[in-house]
Amino acid sequence: MTHYELATQNDLIENPSPRCPCMVVLDTSSSMSGAPITQLNEGMQTFLQALNEDEVAACSVEVGVITAGSSVREELPFTSALNIDGCNSFSAGGMTPLGGAVNLALQKLEERKAEYKRAGVPYYQPWLVIISDGEPNDSWQAAAAQAKQLSSQNKLVSLVVGVEGANLATLGEFSHRPALMLQGLKFNAFFQWLSASMSRVSQSASTTAQVDLPPMDGWASI
Amino acid sequence: MTQLTTVFDFQGQPQQLAKKLGEGGEGVIYPLAQRPEVLVKIYHERELAKRGKILQEKVEAMRGVTQLASEKSVSWPLISVFDAQQRWLGYAMYKAEGKDMFLLAHSMLYKKHFPGLDRRAITGYLINLVQQLKTLQDHGVMIGDYTLHNLLCQPNSDKVTLIDCDSYQLQFNGRHYASPVGTPDMTPIEHHGKAFSDLVRTKESEAFSLAIILFKCLMLGRHPYDIVGGEDPVTNLKRGDFAYGVGNKGIPAGPWYNIWSHMPHRLKSSFIATFTEGANDPAKRTSLEEWLEILTLYGKEIDKDWHEVAITPSEPKPKKYHGNNRSISQSASHC
Repeated sequence: MTHYELATQNDLIENPSPRCPCMVVLDTSSSMSGAPITQLNEGMQTFLQALNEDEVAACSVEVGVITAGSSVREELPFTSALNIDGCNSFSAGGMTPLGGAVNLALQKLEERKAEYKRAGVPYYQPWLVIISDGEPNDSWQAAAAQAKQLSSQNKLVSLVVGVEGANLATLGEFSHRPALMLQGLKFNAFFQWLSASMSRVSQSASTTAQVDLPPMDGWASI
Repeated sequence: MTQLTTVFDFQGQPQQLAKKLGEGGEGVIYPLAQRPEVLVKIYHERELAKRGKILQEKVEAMRGVTQLASEKSVSWPLISVFDAQQRWLGYAMYKAEGKDMFLLAHSMLYKKHFPGLDRRAITGYLINLVQQLKTLQDHGVMIGDYTLHNLLCQPNSDKVTLIDCDSYQLQFNGRHYASPVGTPDMTPIEHHGKAFSDLVRTKESEAFSLAIILFKCLMLGRHPYDIVGGEDPVTNLKRGDFAYGVGNKGIPAGPWYNIWSHMPHRLKSSFIATFTEGANDPAKRTSLEEWLEILTLYGKEIDKDWHEVAITPSEPKPKKYHGNNRSISQSASHC
Protein backbone atom coordinates (compact mmCIF):
# COMPACT_ATOMS: atom_id res chain seq x y z
CA MET A 1 0.00 0.00 0.00
CA THR A 2 1.44 3.35 -0.97
CA HIS A 3 1.71 6.20 1.46
CA TYR A 4 -1.03 8.04 -0.41
CA GLU A 5 -3.50 5.16 -0.16
CA LEU A 6 -2.85 4.83 3.55
CA ALA A 7 -3.34 8.56 4.09
CA THR A 8 -6.61 8.74 2.20
CA GLN A 9 -8.01 5.64 3.89
CA ASN A 10 -7.18 7.04 7.30
CA ASP A 11 -8.84 10.23 6.21
CA LEU A 12 -12.10 8.35 5.68
CA ILE A 13 -11.83 6.95 9.21
CA GLU A 14 -10.90 10.17 10.95
CA ASN A 15 -13.31 12.25 8.93
CA PRO A 16 -16.42 10.24 8.04
CA SER A 17 -18.28 13.30 6.69
CA PRO A 18 -20.40 12.40 3.66
CA ARG A 19 -18.24 12.98 0.62
CA CYS A 20 -18.75 14.75 -2.64
CA PRO A 21 -15.96 13.78 -5.02
CA CYS A 22 -15.29 16.30 -7.78
CA MET A 23 -12.89 15.35 -10.55
CA VAL A 24 -11.71 18.26 -12.68
CA VAL A 25 -10.39 17.36 -16.15
CA LEU A 26 -8.43 20.21 -17.65
CA ASP A 27 -7.44 20.59 -21.27
CA THR A 28 -3.83 21.76 -21.07
CA SER A 29 -3.06 21.37 -24.77
CA SER A 30 -0.82 23.88 -26.54
CA SER A 31 -3.78 26.01 -27.68
CA MET A 32 -4.40 26.90 -24.04
CA SER A 33 -1.02 28.68 -23.91
CA GLY A 34 -0.86 32.23 -22.68
CA ALA A 35 -3.80 33.94 -21.03
CA PRO A 36 -6.12 30.90 -20.96
CA ILE A 37 -3.77 28.68 -18.93
CA THR A 38 -2.87 31.57 -16.61
CA GLN A 39 -6.53 32.28 -15.92
CA LEU A 40 -7.27 28.60 -15.53
CA ASN A 41 -4.52 28.22 -12.92
CA GLU A 42 -5.82 31.22 -11.03
CA GLY A 43 -9.35 29.82 -11.22
CA MET A 44 -8.25 26.53 -9.68
CA GLN A 45 -6.62 28.38 -6.77
CA THR A 46 -9.83 30.38 -6.26
CA PHE A 47 -11.80 27.13 -6.24
CA LEU A 48 -9.64 25.48 -3.58
CA GLN A 49 -9.53 28.63 -1.46
CA ALA A 50 -13.29 29.12 -1.62
CA LEU A 51 -13.89 25.49 -0.64
CA ASN A 52 -11.63 25.92 2.36
CA GLU A 53 -13.46 29.03 3.45
CA ASP A 54 -16.58 26.90 3.92
CA GLU A 55 -15.77 24.55 6.78
CA VAL A 56 -18.47 22.04 5.95
CA ALA A 57 -17.51 21.88 2.28
CA ALA A 58 -13.84 21.60 3.27
CA CYS A 59 -14.63 18.41 5.21
CA SER A 60 -16.90 16.94 2.54
CA VAL A 61 -15.64 17.91 -0.89
CA GLU A 62 -12.81 15.89 -2.36
CA VAL A 63 -11.07 17.35 -5.36
CA GLY A 64 -9.07 15.50 -7.97
CA VAL A 65 -7.38 16.97 -11.04
CA ILE A 66 -6.41 15.27 -14.30
CA THR A 67 -4.75 17.16 -17.13
CA ALA A 68 -4.96 16.35 -20.81
CA GLY A 69 -2.00 17.81 -22.69
CA SER A 70 1.32 16.26 -23.66
CA SER A 71 0.05 13.26 -21.75
CA VAL A 72 -2.83 12.29 -19.47
CA ARG A 73 -1.72 12.99 -15.92
CA GLU A 74 -3.36 12.64 -12.56
CA GLU A 75 -2.09 15.88 -11.04
CA LEU A 76 -4.04 15.61 -7.81
CA PRO A 77 -5.54 12.36 -6.52
CA PHE A 78 -8.85 12.73 -4.67
CA THR A 79 -8.12 14.70 -1.51
CA SER A 80 -10.47 16.35 0.97
CA ALA A 81 -10.35 20.08 0.40
CA LEU A 82 -9.19 20.69 3.96
CA ASN A 83 -6.07 18.60 3.28
CA ILE A 84 -5.13 20.34 0.05
CA ASP A 85 -2.38 22.87 0.64
CA GLY A 86 -2.34 24.18 -2.87
CA CYS A 87 -2.38 23.06 -6.42
CA ASN A 88 0.45 22.93 -8.94
CA SER A 89 0.33 25.41 -11.75
CA PHE A 90 -0.27 23.71 -15.04
CA SER A 91 1.51 24.57 -18.26
CA ALA A 92 0.05 24.17 -21.71
CA GLY A 93 1.51 21.88 -24.35
CA GLY A 94 0.76 18.96 -26.64
CA MET A 95 -2.47 17.55 -27.99
CA THR A 96 -5.90 17.17 -26.39
CA PRO A 97 -6.26 13.57 -25.14
CA LEU A 98 -9.60 14.24 -23.44
CA GLY A 99 -10.88 10.72 -24.10
CA GLY A 100 -8.04 9.18 -22.15
CA ALA A 101 -8.35 11.80 -19.42
CA VAL A 102 -12.09 11.21 -18.94
CA ASN A 103 -11.50 7.48 -19.01
CA LEU A 104 -9.00 7.85 -16.18
CA ALA A 105 -11.34 10.23 -14.33
CA LEU A 106 -14.22 7.74 -14.45
CA GLN A 107 -11.91 4.96 -13.29
CA LYS A 108 -10.66 7.09 -10.36
CA LEU A 109 -14.24 7.97 -9.42
CA GLU A 110 -15.21 4.31 -9.34
CA GLU A 111 -12.19 3.47 -7.20
CA ARG A 112 -12.98 6.25 -4.78
CA LYS A 113 -16.62 5.20 -4.50
CA ALA A 114 -15.45 1.67 -3.66
CA GLU A 115 -13.24 3.13 -0.91
CA TYR A 116 -16.21 5.06 0.50
CA LYS A 117 -18.23 1.85 0.58
CA ARG A 118 -15.43 -0.04 2.30
CA ALA A 119 -15.25 2.67 4.96
CA GLY A 120 -19.04 2.98 5.28
CA VAL A 121 -18.85 6.65 4.31
CA PRO A 122 -21.91 7.93 2.43
CA TYR A 123 -21.37 10.00 -0.69
CA TYR A 124 -23.21 12.47 -2.84
CA GLN A 125 -23.49 12.09 -6.57
CA PRO A 126 -19.93 12.54 -7.91
CA TRP A 127 -19.06 15.46 -10.15
CA LEU A 128 -16.98 15.46 -13.31
CA VAL A 129 -15.99 18.87 -14.62
CA ILE A 130 -14.38 19.05 -18.06
CA ILE A 131 -12.85 22.29 -19.32
CA SER A 132 -11.57 22.57 -22.88
CA ASP A 133 -10.92 25.09 -25.63
CA GLY A 134 -11.04 22.56 -28.43
CA GLU A 135 -12.10 18.99 -28.91
CA PRO A 136 -10.58 15.62 -28.07
CA ASN A 137 -8.15 14.26 -30.64
CA ASP A 138 -7.64 10.81 -29.22
CA SER A 139 -10.12 7.97 -29.12
CA TRP A 140 -12.85 9.58 -27.02
CA GLN A 141 -16.19 8.11 -28.05
CA ALA A 142 -16.32 5.29 -25.50
CA ALA A 143 -15.35 7.52 -22.57
CA ALA A 144 -17.89 10.15 -23.66
CA ALA A 145 -20.64 7.56 -24.01
CA GLN A 146 -19.91 6.25 -20.52
CA ALA A 147 -19.94 9.73 -18.96
CA LYS A 148 -23.13 10.60 -20.80
CA GLN A 149 -24.83 7.41 -19.68
CA LEU A 150 -23.84 7.87 -16.02
CA SER A 151 -25.00 11.46 -16.14
CA SER A 152 -28.37 10.54 -17.66
CA GLN A 153 -28.81 7.91 -14.91
CA ASN A 154 -28.18 10.57 -12.24
CA LYS A 155 -25.05 8.72 -11.12
CA LEU A 156 -22.73 11.53 -12.16
CA VAL A 157 -23.02 15.28 -12.53
CA SER A 158 -21.05 15.78 -15.74
CA LEU A 159 -20.42 19.44 -16.40
CA VAL A 160 -18.68 20.38 -19.64
CA VAL A 161 -17.37 23.88 -20.04
CA GLY A 162 -16.07 25.22 -23.32
CA VAL A 163 -13.65 28.10 -23.66
CA GLU A 164 -13.49 30.18 -26.86
CA GLY A 165 -12.55 27.90 -29.73
CA ALA A 166 -14.23 24.86 -28.20
CA ASN A 167 -16.24 22.46 -30.28
CA LEU A 168 -19.34 22.43 -28.09
CA ALA A 169 -21.10 19.79 -30.13
CA THR A 170 -18.33 17.24 -29.60
CA LEU A 171 -17.69 18.25 -25.98
CA GLY A 172 -21.42 17.97 -25.35
CA GLU A 173 -21.14 14.23 -25.96
CA PHE A 174 -19.55 13.89 -22.50
CA SER A 175 -22.81 14.66 -20.71
CA HIS A 176 -26.53 14.36 -21.19
CA ARG A 177 -26.63 18.09 -20.54
CA PRO A 178 -25.35 20.46 -23.24
CA ALA A 179 -21.84 21.87 -22.88
CA LEU A 180 -21.72 25.47 -21.68
CA MET A 181 -19.65 28.25 -23.14
CA LEU A 182 -17.61 30.38 -20.80
CA GLN A 183 -17.79 34.10 -21.47
CA GLY A 184 -14.27 35.26 -22.25
CA LEU A 185 -11.91 33.75 -19.73
CA LYS A 186 -14.02 34.05 -16.62
CA PHE A 187 -12.56 31.01 -14.96
CA ASN A 188 -12.63 32.73 -11.61
CA ALA A 189 -16.37 33.31 -11.76
CA PHE A 190 -16.91 29.74 -12.90
CA PHE A 191 -14.86 28.25 -10.09
CA GLN A 192 -16.63 30.46 -7.57
CA TRP A 193 -19.91 29.12 -8.86
CA LEU A 194 -18.53 25.57 -8.65
CA SER A 195 -17.44 25.99 -5.03
CA ALA A 196 -20.82 27.57 -4.15
CA SER A 197 -22.50 24.54 -5.73
CA MET A 198 -20.25 22.18 -3.80
CA SER A 199 -21.06 24.09 -0.59
CA ARG A 200 -24.74 23.63 -1.19
CA VAL A 201 -24.32 19.95 -1.90
CA SER A 202 -22.26 19.40 1.26
CA GLN A 203 -24.83 21.31 3.35
CA SER A 204 -27.77 19.40 1.96
CA ALA A 205 -29.55 17.35 4.57
CA SER A 206 -29.27 14.06 2.77
CA THR A 207 -26.86 12.39 0.38
CA THR A 208 -29.83 11.43 -1.76
CA ALA A 209 -31.66 14.75 -1.71
CA GLN A 210 -31.97 16.91 -4.80
CA VAL A 211 -29.99 20.11 -4.47
CA ASP A 212 -30.92 23.42 -6.06
CA LEU A 213 -27.68 24.77 -7.44
CA PRO A 214 -26.93 28.49 -7.53
CA PRO A 215 -27.95 30.28 -10.72
CA MET A 216 -25.34 30.26 -13.46
CA ASP A 217 -26.12 33.60 -15.07
CA GLY A 218 -23.04 35.10 -13.47
CA TRP A 219 -20.60 33.27 -15.65
CA ALA A 220 -22.04 31.37 -18.53
CA SER A 221 -23.77 32.30 -21.71
CA ILE A 222 -25.96 29.48 -22.84
CA MET B 1 -35.29 39.24 -5.85
CA THR B 2 -34.55 42.86 -5.12
CA GLN B 3 -33.80 43.82 -1.55
CA LEU B 4 -36.99 44.61 0.35
CA THR B 5 -36.75 47.60 2.65
CA THR B 6 -40.16 47.95 4.31
CA VAL B 7 -42.88 45.52 5.31
CA PHE B 8 -46.22 46.10 7.00
CA ASP B 9 -48.29 44.40 9.64
CA PHE B 10 -52.02 43.68 9.32
CA GLN B 11 -52.90 47.24 10.37
CA GLY B 12 -50.55 48.68 7.78
CA GLN B 13 -47.90 49.74 10.28
CA PRO B 14 -44.53 49.86 8.51
CA GLN B 15 -41.28 48.36 9.76
CA GLN B 16 -37.88 48.84 8.16
CA LEU B 17 -35.90 45.71 7.36
CA ALA B 18 -32.19 45.36 8.06
CA LYS B 19 -29.78 43.61 5.69
CA LYS B 20 -30.85 40.10 4.80
CA LEU B 21 -29.66 37.43 7.19
CA GLY B 22 -30.07 34.37 5.06
CA GLU B 23 -31.73 32.90 2.03
CA GLY B 24 -33.14 29.46 1.35
CA GLY B 25 -35.14 27.71 -1.30
CA GLU B 26 -38.40 29.10 0.04
CA GLY B 27 -37.61 32.64 1.03
CA VAL B 28 -35.36 35.25 2.57
CA ILE B 29 -34.89 36.06 6.26
CA TYR B 30 -34.46 39.68 7.37
CA PRO B 31 -34.14 41.15 10.87
CA LEU B 32 -36.22 44.25 11.63
CA ALA B 33 -33.97 47.31 11.59
CA GLN B 34 -35.31 48.66 14.88
CA ARG B 35 -35.86 45.33 16.64
CA PRO B 36 -33.11 42.91 15.63
CA GLU B 37 -34.56 40.21 17.92
CA VAL B 38 -37.47 39.92 15.49
CA LEU B 39 -36.96 38.21 12.12
CA VAL B 40 -39.27 38.16 9.16
CA LYS B 41 -39.42 35.43 6.56
CA ILE B 42 -40.42 36.71 3.16
CA TYR B 43 -41.31 33.96 0.71
CA HIS B 44 -39.87 34.07 -2.80
CA GLU B 45 -42.25 35.35 -5.47
CA ARG B 46 -42.37 31.94 -7.12
CA GLU B 47 -43.43 30.30 -3.82
CA LEU B 48 -46.14 32.92 -3.27
CA ALA B 49 -47.39 32.43 -6.81
CA LYS B 50 -47.41 28.66 -6.44
CA ARG B 51 -48.85 28.22 -2.95
CA GLY B 52 -49.23 31.62 -1.32
CA LYS B 53 -52.80 30.93 -0.22
CA ILE B 54 -52.04 27.69 1.59
CA LEU B 55 -48.90 29.20 3.15
CA GLN B 56 -50.91 32.11 4.52
CA GLU B 57 -53.66 29.81 5.81
CA LYS B 58 -51.09 27.61 7.49
CA VAL B 59 -49.25 30.51 9.12
CA GLU B 60 -52.57 31.91 10.35
CA ALA B 61 -53.48 28.49 11.77
CA MET B 62 -50.08 28.26 13.46
CA ARG B 63 -50.67 31.65 15.06
CA GLY B 64 -53.85 30.15 16.44
CA VAL B 65 -51.80 27.79 18.63
CA THR B 66 -51.12 30.57 21.07
CA GLN B 67 -49.45 28.36 23.68
CA LEU B 68 -46.57 27.76 21.25
CA ALA B 69 -46.27 31.44 20.36
CA SER B 70 -45.07 32.08 23.89
CA GLU B 71 -42.51 29.23 23.78
CA LYS B 72 -39.12 30.88 23.35
CA SER B 73 -37.56 27.57 22.35
CA VAL B 74 -39.60 27.40 19.14
CA SER B 75 -39.27 30.03 16.43
CA TRP B 76 -43.04 30.11 15.98
CA PRO B 77 -44.80 32.40 13.46
CA LEU B 78 -46.11 35.35 15.48
CA ILE B 79 -47.71 37.73 13.01
CA SER B 80 -48.29 37.91 9.27
CA VAL B 81 -46.31 40.40 7.21
CA PHE B 82 -47.60 42.28 4.14
CA ASP B 83 -46.38 44.65 1.45
CA ALA B 84 -47.66 48.22 0.96
CA GLN B 85 -50.62 46.88 -1.01
CA GLN B 86 -51.56 44.55 1.88
CA ARG B 87 -50.45 41.49 -0.09
CA TRP B 88 -49.33 38.70 2.22
CA LEU B 89 -45.54 38.11 2.05
CA GLY B 90 -44.64 35.96 5.04
CA TYR B 91 -44.42 36.15 8.79
CA ALA B 92 -42.47 37.47 11.75
CA MET B 93 -40.89 35.40 14.54
CA TYR B 94 -38.37 35.78 17.35
CA LYS B 95 -34.75 35.26 16.43
CA ALA B 96 -33.34 31.98 17.73
CA GLU B 97 -29.88 31.86 19.26
CA GLY B 98 -27.45 29.02 18.93
CA LYS B 99 -25.39 26.93 16.57
CA ASP B 100 -26.63 24.46 14.01
CA MET B 101 -26.98 21.01 15.62
CA PHE B 102 -25.27 19.72 12.45
CA LEU B 103 -22.04 21.19 13.86
CA LEU B 104 -22.59 19.41 17.18
CA ALA B 105 -23.05 16.15 15.29
CA HIS B 106 -20.05 16.67 12.99
CA SER B 107 -17.07 14.46 13.60
CA MET B 108 -14.57 17.25 12.91
CA LEU B 109 -16.35 20.54 13.52
CA TYR B 110 -17.81 19.93 17.00
CA LYS B 111 -14.41 20.63 18.55
CA LYS B 112 -14.37 24.14 17.14
CA HIS B 113 -18.00 25.06 17.73
CA PHE B 114 -18.65 23.22 20.99
CA PRO B 115 -15.31 23.28 22.81
CA GLY B 116 -15.33 21.07 25.89
CA LEU B 117 -18.35 19.11 24.67
CA ASP B 118 -18.88 15.78 26.44
CA ARG B 119 -21.59 13.12 26.47
CA ARG B 120 -23.38 14.70 29.42
CA ALA B 121 -23.77 17.92 27.46
CA ILE B 122 -25.04 16.08 24.36
CA THR B 123 -27.54 14.22 26.52
CA GLY B 124 -28.72 17.54 27.97
CA TYR B 125 -29.45 18.93 24.50
CA LEU B 126 -31.24 15.74 23.48
CA ILE B 127 -33.44 15.66 26.60
CA ASN B 128 -34.45 19.23 25.88
CA LEU B 129 -35.12 18.44 22.24
CA VAL B 130 -37.40 15.49 23.06
CA GLN B 131 -39.26 17.55 25.68
CA GLN B 132 -39.94 20.22 23.09
CA LEU B 133 -41.14 17.73 20.52
CA LYS B 134 -43.51 16.37 23.14
CA THR B 135 -44.89 19.86 23.80
CA LEU B 136 -45.44 20.27 20.05
CA GLN B 137 -47.21 16.91 19.78
CA ASP B 138 -49.42 17.82 22.72
CA HIS B 139 -50.62 20.71 20.57
CA GLY B 140 -51.17 18.65 17.43
CA VAL B 141 -47.87 19.58 15.78
CA MET B 142 -45.43 17.16 14.11
CA ILE B 143 -42.03 18.15 12.75
CA GLY B 144 -42.21 16.02 9.60
CA ASP B 145 -39.00 17.30 8.01
CA TYR B 146 -36.34 16.27 10.52
CA THR B 147 -32.96 17.83 9.82
CA LEU B 148 -30.12 18.83 12.12
CA HIS B 149 -29.98 22.17 10.31
CA ASN B 150 -33.32 23.21 11.80
CA LEU B 151 -32.22 22.71 15.40
CA LEU B 152 -30.03 25.27 17.12
CA CYS B 153 -27.99 24.49 20.24
CA GLN B 154 -26.58 27.14 22.52
CA PRO B 155 -23.02 26.21 23.43
CA ASN B 156 -22.33 25.81 27.16
CA SER B 157 -25.97 25.20 27.98
CA ASP B 158 -28.58 22.54 27.26
CA LYS B 159 -30.82 24.88 25.27
CA VAL B 160 -32.18 23.81 21.90
CA THR B 161 -34.34 26.02 19.69
CA LEU B 162 -36.43 24.73 16.83
CA ILE B 163 -36.42 26.84 13.68
CA ASP B 164 -38.08 26.75 10.25
CA CYS B 165 -41.39 25.87 11.88
CA ASP B 166 -43.53 26.74 8.87
CA SER B 167 -42.71 23.31 7.44
CA TYR B 168 -44.30 21.48 10.40
CA GLN B 169 -47.48 19.44 10.16
CA LEU B 170 -50.36 20.96 12.06
CA GLN B 171 -53.87 19.87 13.04
CA PHE B 172 -55.88 22.92 13.95
CA ASN B 173 -59.63 23.42 14.24
CA GLY B 174 -60.27 20.14 12.50
CA ARG B 175 -58.07 20.94 9.54
CA HIS B 176 -54.87 19.18 8.48
CA TYR B 177 -51.89 21.25 7.29
CA ALA B 178 -49.21 19.01 5.76
CA SER B 179 -45.46 19.11 6.18
CA PRO B 180 -44.63 19.26 2.47
CA VAL B 181 -40.87 18.64 2.71
CA GLY B 182 -38.47 15.96 3.84
CA THR B 183 -35.51 13.80 2.87
CA PRO B 184 -35.64 10.06 2.18
CA ASP B 185 -32.84 9.15 4.58
CA MET B 186 -34.80 10.62 7.51
CA THR B 187 -38.16 9.17 6.49
CA PRO B 188 -39.56 5.81 7.62
CA ILE B 189 -40.36 3.13 5.06
CA GLU B 190 -44.14 3.51 5.23
CA HIS B 191 -43.79 7.06 3.94
CA HIS B 192 -41.44 6.31 1.05
CA GLY B 193 -42.72 6.52 -2.50
CA LYS B 194 -45.33 9.18 -1.73
CA ALA B 195 -45.24 12.95 -2.10
CA PHE B 196 -44.27 14.56 1.22
CA SER B 197 -47.21 16.93 0.88
CA ASP B 198 -49.63 13.95 0.80
CA LEU B 199 -48.30 12.34 3.98
CA VAL B 200 -49.95 12.32 7.36
CA ARG B 201 -47.08 12.15 9.85
CA THR B 202 -47.79 10.02 12.88
CA LYS B 203 -46.27 9.64 16.33
CA GLU B 204 -44.55 6.51 15.02
CA SER B 205 -43.12 8.20 11.91
CA GLU B 206 -41.89 11.04 14.12
CA ALA B 207 -40.33 8.53 16.51
CA PHE B 208 -38.36 6.94 13.66
CA SER B 209 -36.96 10.25 12.39
CA LEU B 210 -36.22 11.42 15.92
CA ALA B 211 -34.25 8.22 16.58
CA ILE B 212 -32.02 9.06 13.59
CA ILE B 213 -31.38 12.55 14.99
CA LEU B 214 -30.56 11.09 18.42
CA PHE B 215 -28.24 8.51 16.88
CA LYS B 216 -26.46 11.12 14.77
CA CYS B 217 -25.88 13.36 17.79
CA LEU B 218 -24.57 10.53 19.95
CA MET B 219 -22.49 9.07 17.11
CA LEU B 220 -20.84 12.24 15.76
CA GLY B 221 -22.99 12.56 12.69
CA ARG B 222 -22.94 8.92 11.60
CA HIS B 223 -26.20 7.90 9.99
CA PRO B 224 -27.55 4.71 11.63
CA TYR B 225 -27.71 3.15 8.19
CA ASP B 226 -24.07 3.81 7.22
CA ILE B 227 -22.75 0.32 6.77
CA VAL B 228 -19.40 -0.94 5.58
CA GLY B 229 -19.87 -2.61 2.21
CA GLY B 230 -23.56 -1.68 2.26
CA GLU B 231 -25.56 0.44 -0.11
CA ASP B 232 -26.50 4.08 0.40
CA PRO B 233 -28.27 4.90 3.70
CA VAL B 234 -31.71 5.01 2.04
CA THR B 235 -31.41 1.50 0.60
CA ASN B 236 -30.09 0.19 3.94
CA LEU B 237 -32.97 1.96 5.72
CA LYS B 238 -35.54 0.27 3.51
CA ARG B 239 -33.98 -3.09 4.38
CA GLY B 240 -33.67 -2.34 8.10
CA ASP B 241 -29.91 -3.04 7.79
CA PHE B 242 -28.52 -1.62 11.03
CA ALA B 243 -24.90 -2.54 11.73
CA TYR B 244 -24.93 -2.35 15.50
CA GLY B 245 -26.22 -4.88 17.99
CA VAL B 246 -26.00 -8.64 17.83
CA GLY B 247 -22.97 -9.53 15.74
CA ASN B 248 -22.02 -5.90 15.05
CA LYS B 249 -21.70 -6.59 11.31
CA GLY B 250 -20.61 -3.74 9.10
CA ILE B 251 -19.71 -1.13 11.71
CA PRO B 252 -17.41 1.39 10.02
CA ALA B 253 -13.76 1.53 11.06
CA GLY B 254 -12.99 4.34 13.49
CA PRO B 255 -14.30 5.26 16.93
CA TRP B 256 -17.87 4.08 16.26
CA TYR B 257 -17.81 0.72 17.99
CA ASN B 258 -16.15 2.20 21.06
CA ILE B 259 -18.76 4.93 21.29
CA TRP B 260 -21.58 2.45 20.83
CA SER B 261 -20.21 0.04 23.41
CA HIS B 262 -20.27 2.71 26.11
CA MET B 263 -23.96 3.54 25.68
CA PRO B 264 -26.27 2.15 28.36
CA HIS B 265 -28.00 -1.09 27.50
CA ARG B 266 -31.50 0.37 27.23
CA LEU B 267 -30.36 3.14 24.92
CA LYS B 268 -28.70 0.61 22.64
CA SER B 269 -31.71 -1.74 22.74
CA SER B 270 -33.99 1.13 21.75
CA PHE B 271 -31.83 2.00 18.75
CA ILE B 272 -31.64 -1.65 17.73
CA ALA B 273 -35.41 -2.13 18.05
CA THR B 274 -36.22 1.07 16.16
CA PHE B 275 -33.74 0.53 13.33
CA THR B 276 -34.23 -3.21 12.75
CA GLU B 277 -37.75 -4.49 13.50
CA GLY B 278 -39.02 -0.94 13.85
CA ALA B 279 -37.94 -0.09 10.28
CA ASN B 280 -40.89 -2.12 9.00
CA ASP B 281 -43.12 -2.21 12.05
CA PRO B 282 -43.98 1.23 13.41
CA ALA B 283 -45.27 -0.31 16.66
CA LYS B 284 -41.75 -1.57 17.49
CA ARG B 285 -40.26 1.92 17.53
CA THR B 286 -39.25 3.54 20.78
CA SER B 287 -41.77 6.29 21.55
CA LEU B 288 -41.04 9.91 22.39
CA GLU B 289 -42.02 9.31 26.01
CA GLU B 290 -39.67 6.33 26.22
CA TRP B 291 -36.79 8.30 24.69
CA LEU B 292 -37.35 11.02 27.26
CA GLU B 293 -37.18 8.51 30.07
CA ILE B 294 -34.12 6.71 28.63
CA LEU B 295 -32.17 9.91 28.02
CA THR B 296 -33.07 11.38 31.40
CA LEU B 297 -31.87 8.20 33.07
CA TYR B 298 -28.68 8.24 30.96
CA GLY B 299 -28.01 11.81 32.15
CA LYS B 300 -28.57 10.86 35.78
CA GLU B 301 -26.32 7.81 35.47
CA ILE B 302 -23.57 9.91 33.89
CA ASP B 303 -23.88 12.27 36.86
CA LYS B 304 -23.28 9.26 39.10
CA ASP B 305 -20.16 8.51 37.08
CA TRP B 306 -21.55 5.27 35.68
CA HIS B 307 -20.79 6.03 32.04
CA GLU B 308 -17.93 7.30 29.94
CA VAL B 309 -18.34 10.98 29.05
CA ALA B 310 -15.58 11.25 26.43
CA ILE B 311 -16.90 11.98 22.96
CA THR B 312 -14.59 9.35 21.45
CA PRO B 313 -13.61 6.83 24.15
CA SER B 314 -10.19 5.36 23.46
CA GLU B 315 -11.25 1.83 24.45
CA PRO B 316 -14.49 -0.11 24.11
CA LYS B 317 -16.41 -0.69 27.32
CA PRO B 318 -15.03 -3.73 29.16
CA LYS B 319 -17.38 -6.69 28.90
CA LYS B 320 -17.06 -7.30 32.61
CA TYR B 321 -20.02 -6.09 34.62
CA HIS B 322 -19.74 -5.50 38.34
CA GLY B 323 -23.43 -5.15 39.22
CA ASN B 324 -25.87 -7.83 40.19
CA ASN B 325 -28.36 -7.50 37.35
CA ARG B 326 -27.99 -10.71 35.32
CA SER B 327 -30.00 -9.51 32.35
CA ILE B 328 -27.74 -6.50 31.83
CA SER B 329 -24.64 -8.57 32.25
CA GLN B 330 -25.82 -11.12 29.69
CA SER B 331 -27.04 -8.68 27.12
CA ALA B 332 -24.01 -6.47 27.52
CA SER B 333 -21.94 -9.19 25.95
CA HIS B 334 -24.25 -9.36 22.94
CA CYS B 335 -24.55 -5.79 21.86
